Amino acid sequence: MTTGMERFGALMQGQTPDRVPIVCNLLDQGAQELGMSIRNYYSRGEHVAEAQLRMREKYGYDTLNGMFYSALEAEVMGCKNIVYADDGPPNVGHLVISRPEDILKLHVPENLNEHPRFREVASCIKNMKKKSQGRYPVLGVVTASFSLPAMLMGIGLWLELFLSGDPMLRDSLLATCSQFCSRHIKALREAGADLIVYSNPVASATFIMLKKFRELALPWIIRDLEEGGTAGVVFFNGGGRINPILPDLISQTGIGAYYLNPFDDITEARELLGRQALIAGTINDIHLIDWSPEEVDREVKKIMQAGKKAGGFIFGTLMMPLRIPEANIHAMIESAIKHGSYAGEQP
Amino acid sequence: MVENMRQSILTVYIQALFDTDKAYALQIIQNALDNGMSPEQVIFEVVIPGMERMIGGMICDNEVTLSQHFLSSQIAEEVTDRLIPLFKTAPEKRGHVVMGTSFGDFHGLGKKIVSGCLRARMFAVTDLGINVTPERFVDEALASGAEVIGISSMMIHTATGERGAKRVRQLLKERGLEDHIRILVGGAPYRFHDQLYLEVGADAWAETAAEAPAVVEQLVREVQT
Repeated sequence: MTTGMERFGALMQGQTPDRVPIVCNLLDQGAQELGMSIRNYYSRGEHVAEAQLRMREKYGYDTLNGMFYSALEAEVMGCKNIVYADDGPPNVGHLVISRPEDILKLHVPENLNEHPRFREVASCIKNMKKKSQGRYPVLGVVTASFSLPAMLMGIGLWLELFLSGDPMLRDSLLATCSQFCSRHIKALREAGADLIVYSNPVASATFIMLKKFRELALPWIIRDLEEGGTAGVVFFNGGGRINPILPDLISQTGIGAYYLNPFDDITEARELLGRQALIAGTINDIHLIDWSPEEVDREVKKIMQAGKKAGGFIFGTLMMPLRIPEANIHAMIESAIKHGSYAGEQP
Repeated sequence: MVENMRQSILTVYIQALFDTDKAYALQIIQNALDNGMSPEQVIFEVVIPGMERMIGGMICDNEVTLSQHFLSSQIAEEVTDRLIPLFKTAPEKRGHVVMGTSFGDFHGLGKKIVSGCLRARMFAVTDLGINVTPERFVDEALASGAEVIGISSMMIHTATGERGAKRVRQLLKERGLEDHIRILVGGAPYRFHDQLYLEVGADAWAETAAEAPAVVEQLVREVQT
Protein backbone atom coordinates (compact mmCIF):
# COMPACT_ATOMS: atom_id res chain seq x y z
CA MET A 1 0.00 0.00 0.00
CA THR A 2 1.21 3.49 -0.80
CA THR A 3 1.56 5.68 2.27
CA GLY A 4 0.98 9.39 2.81
CA MET A 5 4.73 9.90 3.08
CA GLU A 6 5.27 8.22 -0.29
CA ARG A 7 2.57 10.36 -1.89
CA PHE A 8 4.05 13.59 -0.54
CA GLY A 9 7.55 12.37 -1.37
CA ALA A 10 6.54 11.71 -4.98
CA LEU A 11 5.03 15.18 -5.31
CA MET A 12 8.08 16.86 -3.83
CA GLN A 13 10.28 15.08 -6.38
CA GLY A 14 8.07 16.23 -9.23
CA GLN A 15 6.56 12.77 -9.76
CA THR A 16 2.93 11.73 -9.89
CA PRO A 17 1.69 9.65 -6.92
CA ASP A 18 -1.05 7.01 -7.15
CA ARG A 19 -3.57 9.64 -6.12
CA VAL A 20 -3.79 13.21 -4.86
CA PRO A 21 -2.62 13.33 -1.22
CA ILE A 22 -5.34 14.35 1.24
CA VAL A 23 -4.92 16.66 4.24
CA CYS A 24 -7.89 16.64 6.62
CA ASN A 25 -7.51 19.01 9.57
CA LEU A 26 -9.46 17.37 12.37
CA LEU A 27 -8.54 18.95 15.72
CA ASP A 28 -11.25 19.15 18.40
CA GLN A 29 -12.79 15.98 16.94
CA GLY A 30 -10.03 14.11 18.77
CA ALA A 31 -11.74 14.80 22.09
CA GLN A 32 -14.91 13.09 20.86
CA GLU A 33 -12.83 10.25 19.51
CA LEU A 34 -11.45 9.62 22.99
CA GLY A 35 -14.73 10.46 24.77
CA MET A 36 -13.31 13.26 26.87
CA SER A 37 -13.82 16.99 27.32
CA ILE A 38 -11.87 19.36 25.08
CA ARG A 39 -10.02 20.75 28.10
CA ASN A 40 -8.95 17.31 29.28
CA TYR A 41 -8.09 16.25 25.73
CA TYR A 42 -5.66 19.10 25.15
CA SER A 43 -4.09 18.76 28.59
CA ARG A 44 -1.84 15.91 27.40
CA GLY A 45 0.13 15.38 24.22
CA GLU A 46 -0.45 11.66 24.43
CA HIS A 47 -4.23 12.20 24.13
CA VAL A 48 -3.83 14.27 20.98
CA ALA A 49 -1.35 11.82 19.46
CA GLU A 50 -3.61 8.85 20.17
CA ALA A 51 -6.67 10.56 18.67
CA GLN A 52 -4.80 11.81 15.61
CA LEU A 53 -3.52 8.32 14.88
CA ARG A 54 -6.97 6.82 15.35
CA MET A 55 -8.70 9.41 13.17
CA ARG A 56 -6.18 9.03 10.37
CA GLU A 57 -6.73 5.28 10.45
CA LYS A 58 -10.51 5.64 10.61
CA TYR A 59 -10.91 8.08 7.71
CA GLY A 60 -7.86 7.22 5.58
CA TYR A 61 -6.31 10.61 4.85
CA ASP A 62 -2.58 11.17 4.46
CA THR A 63 -1.21 13.32 7.29
CA LEU A 64 -1.04 13.51 11.08
CA ASN A 65 -1.66 16.92 12.61
CA GLY A 66 0.49 18.03 15.54
CA MET A 67 -1.48 21.21 16.16
CA PHE A 68 -3.56 21.61 19.35
CA TYR A 69 -5.20 25.05 19.03
CA SER A 70 -3.93 28.46 17.87
CA ALA A 71 -4.21 30.10 21.27
CA LEU A 72 -1.52 27.78 22.62
CA GLU A 73 1.11 30.04 21.06
CA ALA A 74 -0.29 32.96 23.06
CA GLU A 75 0.01 30.78 26.19
CA VAL A 76 3.69 30.22 25.51
CA MET A 77 4.03 34.01 25.10
CA GLY A 78 2.42 34.66 28.49
CA CYS A 79 -1.38 34.43 28.09
CA LYS A 80 -2.78 33.56 31.52
CA ASN A 81 -6.31 32.55 30.60
CA ILE A 82 -7.47 30.15 27.93
CA VAL A 83 -11.23 29.86 27.59
CA TYR A 84 -12.42 26.34 26.81
CA ALA A 85 -15.69 25.53 25.08
CA ASP A 86 -17.52 22.21 24.82
CA ASP A 87 -18.08 22.53 21.11
CA GLY A 88 -15.12 24.35 19.58
CA PRO A 89 -11.48 25.37 19.90
CA PRO A 90 -10.08 27.06 23.01
CA ASN A 91 -9.77 30.85 22.79
CA VAL A 92 -7.45 33.51 24.16
CA GLY A 93 -9.17 34.91 27.27
CA HIS A 94 -6.39 37.29 28.32
CA LEU A 95 -4.48 39.62 26.06
CA VAL A 96 -0.77 39.67 26.83
CA ILE A 97 -0.49 43.20 25.41
CA SER A 98 -3.00 45.67 26.79
CA ARG A 99 -0.74 48.76 26.83
CA PRO A 100 2.09 49.81 24.48
CA GLU A 101 4.71 49.26 27.20
CA ASP A 102 3.69 45.60 27.41
CA ILE A 103 5.31 45.09 24.00
CA LEU A 104 8.72 45.82 25.45
CA LYS A 105 8.15 43.33 28.28
CA LEU A 106 7.39 40.34 26.06
CA HIS A 107 9.59 37.36 26.68
CA VAL A 108 10.39 34.68 24.14
CA PRO A 109 11.63 31.43 25.72
CA GLU A 110 15.12 30.55 24.46
CA ASN A 111 13.95 26.98 24.10
CA LEU A 112 10.21 26.46 23.70
CA ASN A 113 10.49 23.14 25.51
CA GLU A 114 10.93 25.18 28.70
CA HIS A 115 7.20 25.87 28.51
CA PRO A 116 4.91 23.06 29.80
CA ARG A 117 2.25 23.61 27.12
CA PHE A 118 4.73 23.41 24.26
CA ARG A 119 6.26 20.30 25.84
CA GLU A 120 2.89 18.60 25.37
CA VAL A 121 2.88 19.58 21.68
CA ALA A 122 6.43 18.28 21.26
CA SER A 123 5.58 15.05 23.04
CA CYS A 124 2.52 14.62 20.80
CA ILE A 125 4.62 15.02 17.65
CA LYS A 126 7.30 12.63 18.91
CA ASN A 127 4.65 10.11 19.85
CA MET A 128 2.93 10.27 16.44
CA LYS A 129 6.23 10.14 14.64
CA LYS A 130 7.26 7.01 16.53
CA LYS A 131 3.96 5.19 16.20
CA SER A 132 3.38 6.03 12.54
CA GLN A 133 6.93 4.86 11.72
CA GLY A 134 7.37 7.51 9.08
CA ARG A 135 4.42 6.37 6.99
CA TYR A 136 2.51 9.64 7.30
CA PRO A 137 3.96 13.15 7.39
CA VAL A 138 3.51 14.83 10.76
CA LEU A 139 2.45 18.47 10.50
CA GLY A 140 3.69 21.14 12.86
CA VAL A 141 1.74 24.39 12.73
CA VAL A 142 3.17 27.82 13.46
CA THR A 143 1.69 31.32 13.33
CA ALA A 144 3.72 33.87 11.37
CA SER A 145 5.16 36.90 13.13
CA PHE A 146 2.82 39.20 11.20
CA SER A 147 -0.28 37.36 12.47
CA LEU A 148 0.79 36.42 16.01
CA PRO A 149 0.14 39.94 17.44
CA ALA A 150 -3.58 39.46 16.73
CA MET A 151 -3.58 36.81 19.46
CA LEU A 152 -1.47 38.88 21.82
CA MET A 153 -3.30 42.22 21.60
CA GLY A 154 -6.50 41.60 19.60
CA ILE A 155 -6.86 42.15 15.88
CA GLY A 156 -8.32 45.66 16.20
CA LEU A 157 -5.36 47.04 18.14
CA TRP A 158 -2.92 45.20 15.91
CA LEU A 159 -4.48 46.72 12.78
CA GLU A 160 -4.30 50.15 14.39
CA LEU A 161 -0.67 49.67 15.32
CA PHE A 162 0.56 48.49 11.94
CA LEU A 163 -1.59 50.85 9.90
CA SER A 164 -1.21 54.07 11.83
CA GLY A 165 0.71 53.46 15.04
CA ASP A 166 4.29 54.02 16.13
CA PRO A 167 6.55 52.25 13.58
CA MET A 168 9.26 51.60 16.17
CA LEU A 169 6.79 49.90 18.49
CA ARG A 170 5.38 47.91 15.58
CA ASP A 171 8.83 46.74 14.51
CA SER A 172 9.79 45.91 18.06
CA LEU A 173 6.70 43.70 18.38
CA LEU A 174 7.32 42.07 15.01
CA ALA A 175 10.96 41.40 15.87
CA THR A 176 9.86 39.63 19.07
CA CYS A 177 7.18 37.66 17.26
CA SER A 178 9.61 36.72 14.51
CA GLN A 179 12.08 35.44 17.07
CA PHE A 180 9.28 33.39 18.61
CA CYS A 181 8.24 32.09 15.19
CA SER A 182 11.80 31.01 14.26
CA ARG A 183 12.29 29.26 17.58
CA HIS A 184 8.87 27.65 17.26
CA ILE A 185 9.72 26.23 13.83
CA LYS A 186 13.05 24.96 15.14
CA ALA A 187 11.39 23.28 18.13
CA LEU A 188 8.70 21.67 15.96
CA ARG A 189 11.35 20.28 13.61
CA GLU A 190 13.39 18.98 16.53
CA ALA A 191 10.28 17.24 17.86
CA GLY A 192 9.96 15.49 14.50
CA ALA A 193 7.54 17.53 12.38
CA ASP A 194 8.01 16.65 8.72
CA LEU A 195 6.13 19.63 7.33
CA ILE A 196 5.80 23.10 8.84
CA VAL A 197 2.44 24.72 8.18
CA TYR A 198 3.16 28.45 8.33
CA SER A 199 -0.11 30.24 8.96
CA ASN A 200 -0.37 33.92 8.13
CA PRO A 201 -3.98 35.11 7.91
CA VAL A 202 -3.26 38.80 8.56
CA ALA A 203 -0.85 38.88 5.61
CA SER A 204 -3.50 37.47 3.28
CA ALA A 205 -5.25 39.52 0.61
CA THR A 206 -8.41 39.35 2.70
CA PHE A 207 -6.74 41.52 5.35
CA ILE A 208 -4.27 43.81 3.63
CA MET A 209 -3.69 45.11 0.15
CA LEU A 210 -0.70 44.11 -1.93
CA LYS A 211 1.18 47.34 -1.31
CA LYS A 212 1.00 46.87 2.47
CA PHE A 213 1.83 43.19 2.09
CA ARG A 214 5.04 44.09 0.28
CA GLU A 215 5.90 46.90 2.64
CA LEU A 216 5.01 45.33 5.99
CA ALA A 217 4.36 41.60 5.85
CA LEU A 218 6.74 40.14 3.26
CA PRO A 219 9.99 41.27 4.93
CA TRP A 220 8.89 39.52 8.13
CA ILE A 221 7.99 36.31 6.31
CA ILE A 222 11.50 36.27 4.90
CA ARG A 223 12.93 36.92 8.37
CA ASP A 224 10.77 34.25 10.07
CA LEU A 225 12.17 31.63 7.71
CA GLU A 226 15.72 32.94 7.37
CA GLU A 227 17.34 30.88 10.09
CA GLY A 228 15.61 27.55 9.59
CA GLY A 229 15.10 27.67 5.83
CA THR A 230 12.02 26.89 3.80
CA ALA A 231 12.42 23.13 3.38
CA GLY A 232 9.11 21.45 4.13
CA VAL A 233 7.36 24.77 4.75
CA VAL A 234 3.76 25.14 3.55
CA PHE A 235 2.34 28.67 3.40
CA PHE A 236 -1.16 28.36 4.89
CA ASN A 237 -3.84 30.96 4.13
CA GLY A 238 -5.33 30.83 7.64
CA GLY A 239 -8.77 31.68 6.28
CA GLY A 240 -7.84 34.52 3.90
CA ARG A 241 -7.36 34.61 0.11
CA ILE A 242 -3.73 34.31 -0.98
CA ASN A 243 -3.72 34.21 -4.79
CA PRO A 244 -2.89 37.95 -5.08
CA ILE A 245 0.28 37.51 -2.99
CA LEU A 246 1.52 34.28 -4.57
CA PRO A 247 3.89 35.87 -7.14
CA ASP A 248 5.70 37.81 -4.41
CA LEU A 249 5.83 34.81 -2.11
CA ILE A 250 7.28 32.45 -4.70
CA SER A 251 9.85 34.93 -5.96
CA GLN A 252 10.96 36.34 -2.61
CA THR A 253 10.73 33.53 -0.07
CA GLY A 254 11.49 30.24 -1.79
CA ILE A 255 8.55 28.54 -0.07
CA GLY A 256 7.66 25.46 -2.13
CA ALA A 257 4.02 24.77 -1.19
CA TYR A 258 0.93 26.97 -0.89
CA TYR A 259 -2.31 26.06 0.86
CA LEU A 260 -5.10 28.04 -0.79
CA ASN A 261 -8.34 29.41 0.56
CA PRO A 262 -11.59 27.89 -0.81
CA PHE A 263 -12.18 31.26 -2.54
CA ASP A 264 -8.81 31.16 -4.33
CA ASP A 265 -8.98 29.81 -7.86
CA ILE A 266 -6.73 26.76 -8.31
CA THR A 267 -6.05 27.31 -12.02
CA GLU A 268 -5.13 30.93 -11.40
CA ALA A 269 -2.83 29.89 -8.52
CA ARG A 270 -0.95 27.54 -10.84
CA GLU A 271 -0.52 30.28 -13.43
CA LEU A 272 0.77 32.65 -10.77
CA LEU A 273 3.17 30.14 -9.20
CA GLY A 274 4.64 28.46 -12.27
CA ARG A 275 5.23 24.70 -12.50
CA GLN A 276 7.47 24.04 -9.51
CA ALA A 277 5.47 24.86 -6.39
CA LEU A 278 2.93 22.51 -4.83
CA ILE A 279 -0.64 23.69 -4.36
CA ALA A 280 -3.17 22.54 -1.78
CA GLY A 281 -6.71 23.30 -2.89
CA THR A 282 -9.31 23.47 -0.14
CA ILE A 283 -12.93 22.60 0.26
CA ASN A 284 -15.31 25.07 1.97
CA ASP A 285 -15.64 22.85 5.01
CA ILE A 286 -18.40 24.82 6.73
CA HIS A 287 -20.72 23.45 4.05
CA LEU A 288 -19.75 19.92 5.08
CA ILE A 289 -22.01 20.44 8.09
CA ASP A 290 -25.15 20.11 6.01
CA TRP A 291 -24.25 19.02 2.49
CA SER A 292 -25.65 15.68 1.32
CA PRO A 293 -23.10 13.02 0.31
CA GLU A 294 -23.97 13.80 -3.32
CA GLU A 295 -23.21 17.48 -2.82
CA VAL A 296 -19.94 16.61 -1.08
CA ASP A 297 -19.00 14.37 -4.00
CA ARG A 298 -19.83 17.05 -6.55
CA GLU A 299 -17.68 19.64 -4.77
CA VAL A 300 -14.73 17.30 -4.24
CA LYS A 301 -14.87 16.24 -7.88
CA LYS A 302 -14.78 19.88 -9.01
CA ILE A 303 -11.74 20.63 -6.84
CA MET A 304 -9.94 17.48 -7.94
CA GLN A 305 -10.54 18.16 -11.62
CA ALA A 306 -9.02 21.62 -11.30
CA GLY A 307 -6.21 20.36 -9.07
CA LYS A 308 -5.18 17.42 -11.24
CA LYS A 309 -5.13 19.66 -14.27
CA ALA A 310 -2.96 22.16 -12.38
CA GLY A 311 -0.57 19.41 -11.24
CA GLY A 312 1.56 19.19 -8.08
CA PHE A 313 -1.70 19.08 -6.20
CA ILE A 314 -2.83 18.27 -2.65
CA PHE A 315 -6.46 18.18 -1.50
CA GLY A 316 -7.11 19.88 1.83
CA THR A 317 -9.57 21.28 4.32
CA LEU A 318 -9.43 24.34 6.53
CA MET A 319 -9.96 23.67 10.27
CA MET A 320 -12.90 21.28 10.12
CA PRO A 321 -15.74 22.43 12.42
CA LEU A 322 -16.70 19.97 15.12
CA ARG A 323 -20.30 19.89 13.91
CA ILE A 324 -19.47 18.14 10.63
CA PRO A 325 -21.12 14.70 10.81
CA GLU A 326 -18.74 11.75 10.65
CA ALA A 327 -20.67 10.49 7.61
CA ASN A 328 -19.71 13.61 5.70
CA ILE A 329 -16.05 13.28 6.65
CA HIS A 330 -16.15 9.73 5.30
CA ALA A 331 -18.01 10.93 2.21
CA MET A 332 -15.42 13.65 1.57
CA ILE A 333 -12.45 11.29 1.92
CA GLU A 334 -14.07 8.58 -0.20
CA SER A 335 -14.79 11.12 -2.93
CA ALA A 336 -11.27 12.51 -2.68
CA ILE A 337 -9.78 9.04 -3.07
CA LYS A 338 -12.09 8.27 -6.01
CA HIS A 339 -11.68 11.55 -7.90
CA GLY A 340 -8.05 12.04 -6.90
CA SER A 341 -6.83 8.81 -8.44
CA TYR A 342 -4.23 9.11 -11.20
CA ALA A 343 -4.77 5.50 -12.30
CA GLY A 344 -4.94 5.34 -16.06
CA GLU A 345 -3.97 8.98 -16.47
CA GLN A 346 -0.88 10.41 -18.09
CA PRO A 347 1.46 11.95 -15.48
CA MET B 1 -17.17 75.20 -8.72
CA VAL B 2 -18.24 74.27 -5.18
CA GLU B 3 -19.36 70.89 -6.46
CA ASN B 4 -15.97 70.39 -8.11
CA MET B 5 -14.24 71.18 -4.83
CA ARG B 6 -16.39 68.65 -2.92
CA GLN B 7 -15.73 66.02 -5.56
CA SER B 8 -12.04 66.67 -5.36
CA ILE B 9 -12.07 66.40 -1.54
CA LEU B 10 -13.98 63.13 -1.78
CA THR B 11 -11.53 61.78 -4.33
CA VAL B 12 -8.44 62.48 -2.22
CA TYR B 13 -10.23 61.24 0.90
CA ILE B 14 -11.05 57.94 -0.79
CA GLN B 15 -7.45 57.64 -1.96
CA ALA B 16 -6.27 58.13 1.64
CA LEU B 17 -8.68 55.41 2.81
CA PHE B 18 -7.52 53.14 0.02
CA ASP B 19 -3.92 53.67 1.12
CA THR B 20 -4.97 53.07 4.77
CA ASP B 21 -3.37 56.40 5.60
CA LYS B 22 -5.34 57.53 8.65
CA ALA B 23 -3.31 60.68 9.38
CA TYR B 24 -3.80 61.98 5.83
CA ALA B 25 -7.52 61.11 5.82
CA LEU B 26 -8.05 63.06 9.05
CA GLN B 27 -6.03 65.95 7.65
CA ILE B 28 -8.30 66.10 4.59
CA ILE B 29 -11.35 66.26 6.86
CA GLN B 30 -9.80 69.05 8.92
CA ASN B 31 -8.85 71.00 5.77
CA ALA B 32 -12.41 70.69 4.50
CA LEU B 33 -13.76 72.12 7.76
CA ASP B 34 -11.14 74.89 7.76
CA ASN B 35 -12.12 75.81 4.21
CA GLY B 36 -15.73 76.35 5.14
CA MET B 37 -17.48 73.02 4.65
CA SER B 38 -20.12 72.54 7.35
CA PRO B 39 -19.96 69.52 9.70
CA GLU B 40 -23.12 68.22 7.98
CA GLN B 41 -21.51 68.47 4.54
CA VAL B 42 -18.33 66.79 5.75
CA ILE B 43 -20.27 63.86 7.18
CA PHE B 44 -22.84 63.39 4.41
CA GLU B 45 -20.78 64.39 1.38
CA VAL B 46 -17.32 63.10 2.26
CA VAL B 47 -17.15 60.71 5.22
CA ILE B 48 -20.20 58.55 4.48
CA PRO B 49 -19.78 58.34 0.69
CA GLY B 50 -16.08 57.59 1.26
CA MET B 51 -16.85 54.84 3.75
CA GLU B 52 -19.55 53.31 1.60
CA ARG B 53 -17.52 53.35 -1.57
CA MET B 54 -14.61 51.78 0.26
CA ILE B 55 -16.49 49.19 2.29
CA GLY B 56 -18.88 48.49 -0.55
CA GLY B 57 -15.92 47.53 -2.72
CA MET B 58 -16.81 50.12 -5.36
CA ILE B 59 -13.38 51.64 -5.42
CA CYS B 60 -11.61 49.25 -7.75
CA ASP B 61 -11.96 45.93 -9.50
CA ASN B 62 -10.35 44.01 -6.64
CA GLU B 63 -12.07 43.27 -3.38
CA VAL B 64 -11.35 45.80 -0.67
CA THR B 65 -9.44 44.37 2.27
CA LEU B 66 -10.47 44.12 5.92
CA SER B 67 -7.83 46.67 6.93
CA GLN B 68 -9.39 49.19 4.53
CA HIS B 69 -12.86 48.36 5.88
CA PHE B 70 -11.57 48.79 9.41
CA LEU B 71 -9.91 52.13 8.82
CA SER B 72 -12.80 53.61 6.80
CA SER B 73 -15.28 52.65 9.47
CA GLN B 74 -13.04 53.75 12.34
CA ILE B 75 -12.49 57.21 10.84
CA ALA B 76 -16.19 57.54 10.00
CA GLU B 77 -17.11 56.73 13.59
CA GLU B 78 -14.51 59.07 15.09
CA VAL B 79 -15.37 62.00 12.81
CA THR B 80 -19.12 61.50 13.19
CA ASP B 81 -18.87 61.42 16.99
CA ARG B 82 -16.81 64.63 16.89
CA LEU B 83 -18.97 66.54 14.42
CA ILE B 84 -22.54 65.58 15.33
CA PRO B 85 -22.56 67.91 18.37
CA LEU B 86 -21.69 70.72 15.92
CA PHE B 87 -24.70 70.09 13.64
CA LYS B 88 -27.18 72.98 13.42
CA THR B 89 -29.99 70.62 14.39
CA ALA B 90 -29.41 67.27 16.05
CA PRO B 91 -29.92 64.48 13.51
CA GLU B 92 -32.81 62.13 14.12
CA LYS B 93 -31.71 58.63 15.07
CA ARG B 94 -32.85 56.06 12.55
CA GLY B 95 -32.97 53.18 14.99
CA HIS B 96 -31.07 51.55 17.81
CA VAL B 97 -28.88 48.46 17.62
CA VAL B 98 -27.43 46.54 20.55
CA MET B 99 -24.35 44.79 19.29
CA GLY B 100 -21.71 42.34 20.48
CA THR B 101 -19.93 39.09 19.70
CA SER B 102 -21.62 35.84 20.61
CA PHE B 103 -20.81 34.09 23.88
CA GLY B 104 -17.41 32.39 23.76
CA ASP B 105 -16.28 34.53 20.82
CA PHE B 106 -13.42 36.93 21.45
CA HIS B 107 -13.06 38.32 17.91
CA GLY B 108 -14.29 41.92 17.84
CA LEU B 109 -13.08 43.22 14.48
CA GLY B 110 -16.23 42.66 12.40
CA LYS B 111 -18.41 44.18 15.10
CA LYS B 112 -16.20 47.27 15.24
CA ILE B 113 -16.43 47.80 11.48
CA VAL B 114 -20.22 47.39 11.43
CA SER B 115 -20.63 49.62 14.46
CA GLY B 116 -18.71 52.45 12.75
CA CYS B 117 -20.85 52.13 9.61
CA LEU B 118 -24.07 52.24 11.60
CA ARG B 119 -23.07 55.20 13.76
CA ALA B 120 -22.00 57.18 10.71
CA ARG B 121 -25.39 56.38 9.18
CA MET B 122 -27.11 57.91 12.24
CA PHE B 123 -28.12 54.70 14.01
CA ALA B 124 -27.63 54.56 17.77
CA VAL B 125 -25.34 51.67 18.69
CA THR B 126 -24.82 50.15 22.10
CA ASP B 127 -21.63 48.12 21.89
CA LEU B 128 -21.68 45.33 24.46
CA GLY B 129 -18.17 44.17 23.54
CA ILE B 130 -17.04 40.59 23.14
CA ASN B 131 -18.17 37.30 24.70
CA VAL B 132 -21.72 38.49 25.40
CA THR B 133 -24.29 36.19 26.99
CA PRO B 134 -27.69 35.78 25.28
CA GLU B 135 -29.39 37.08 28.41
CA ARG B 136 -27.36 40.30 28.31
CA PHE B 137 -28.18 40.89 24.64
CA VAL B 138 -31.89 40.71 25.41
CA ASP B 139 -31.75 42.64 28.70
CA GLU B 140 -29.75 45.48 27.16
CA ALA B 141 -31.99 45.65 24.07
CA LEU B 142 -35.03 45.85 26.29
CA ALA B 143 -33.49 48.45 28.59
CA SER B 144 -32.39 50.71 25.73
CA GLY B 145 -35.46 50.22 23.57
CA ALA B 146 -33.35 48.85 20.71
CA GLU B 147 -35.16 47.44 17.69
CA VAL B 148 -32.26 45.23 16.63
CA ILE B 149 -29.79 42.89 18.33
CA GLY B 150 -26.63 42.47 16.23
CA ILE B 151 -24.62 39.31 16.95
CA SER B 152 -21.18 38.90 15.40
CA SER B 153 -19.40 35.52 15.32
CA MET B 154 -16.02 34.59 13.94
CA MET B 155 -16.24 30.87 14.58
CA ILE B 156 -18.77 28.29 13.54
CA HIS B 157 -19.33 26.91 17.03
CA THR B 158 -20.04 30.35 18.49
CA ALA B 159 -22.33 31.19 15.57
CA THR B 160 -24.36 28.01 15.82
CA GLY B 161 -23.90 27.08 19.48
CA GLU B 162 -26.65 26.94 22.06
CA ARG B 163 -25.49 30.15 23.77
CA GLY B 164 -25.46 32.28 20.64
CA ALA B 165 -28.19 33.65 18.39
CA LYS B 166 -30.30 30.49 18.91
CA ARG B 167 -30.65 31.23 22.60
CA VAL B 168 -31.35 34.91 21.94
CA ARG B 169 -34.21 33.83 19.68
CA GLN B 170 -35.50 31.52 22.39
CA LEU B 171 -35.38 34.30 25.01
CA LEU B 172 -37.22 36.74 22.73
CA LYS B 173 -39.88 34.09 22.24
CA GLU B 174 -40.18 33.25 25.92
CA ARG B 175 -40.50 36.94 26.85
CA GLY B 176 -42.95 37.77 24.05
CA LEU B 177 -40.49 40.20 22.40
CA GLU B 178 -40.27 38.79 18.89
CA ASP B 179 -42.48 41.52 17.43
CA HIS B 180 -40.39 44.23 19.06
CA ILE B 181 -36.81 43.11 18.54
CA ARG B 182 -35.16 41.64 15.44
CA ILE B 183 -31.93 39.63 15.30
CA LEU B 184 -29.16 40.46 12.81
CA VAL B 185 -26.08 38.22 12.50
CA GLY B 186 -22.78 38.53 10.69
CA GLY B 187 -19.22 37.24 10.60
CA ALA B 188 -17.01 34.75 8.81
CA PRO B 189 -19.14 31.57 9.11
CA TYR B 190 -22.08 33.30 7.44
CA ARG B 191 -19.88 34.32 4.53
CA PHE B 192 -18.91 30.70 4.00
CA HIS B 193 -22.55 29.56 4.23
CA ASP B 194 -25.22 32.05 3.21
CA GLN B 195 -28.19 30.12 4.66
CA LEU B 196 -26.67 29.69 8.10
CA TYR B 197 -28.48 32.72 9.51
CA LEU B 198 -31.78 30.85 9.20
CA GLU B 199 -30.47 27.89 11.15
CA VAL B 200 -29.47 30.10 14.09
CA GLY B 201 -32.85 31.81 14.23
CA ALA B 202 -31.77 35.23 12.94
CA ASP B 203 -34.08 37.51 10.95
CA ALA B 204 -31.32 38.66 8.62
CA TRP B 205 -27.58 38.70 7.97
CA ALA B 206 -25.31 41.22 6.36
CA GLU B 207 -22.49 39.93 4.17
CA THR B 208 -20.50 43.13 4.48
CA ALA B 209 -20.50 46.08 6.85
CA ALA B 210 -21.61 48.27 3.94
CA GLU B 211 -24.84 46.28 3.70
CA ALA B 212 -25.55 46.51 7.42
CA PRO B 213 -27.23 49.97 7.50
CA ALA B 214 -29.76 48.99 4.81
CA VAL B 215 -30.49 45.67 6.50
CA VAL B 216 -30.88 47.33 9.90
CA GLU B 217 -33.13 49.99 8.40
CA GLN B 218 -35.39 47.28 7.02
CA LEU B 219 -35.51 45.48 10.38
CA VAL B 220 -36.29 48.73 12.22
CA ARG B 221 -39.10 49.42 9.76
CA GLU B 222 -40.54 45.95 10.35
CA VAL B 223 -40.58 46.54 14.10
CA GLN B 224 -42.07 50.00 13.84
CA THR B 225 -44.94 49.07 11.51
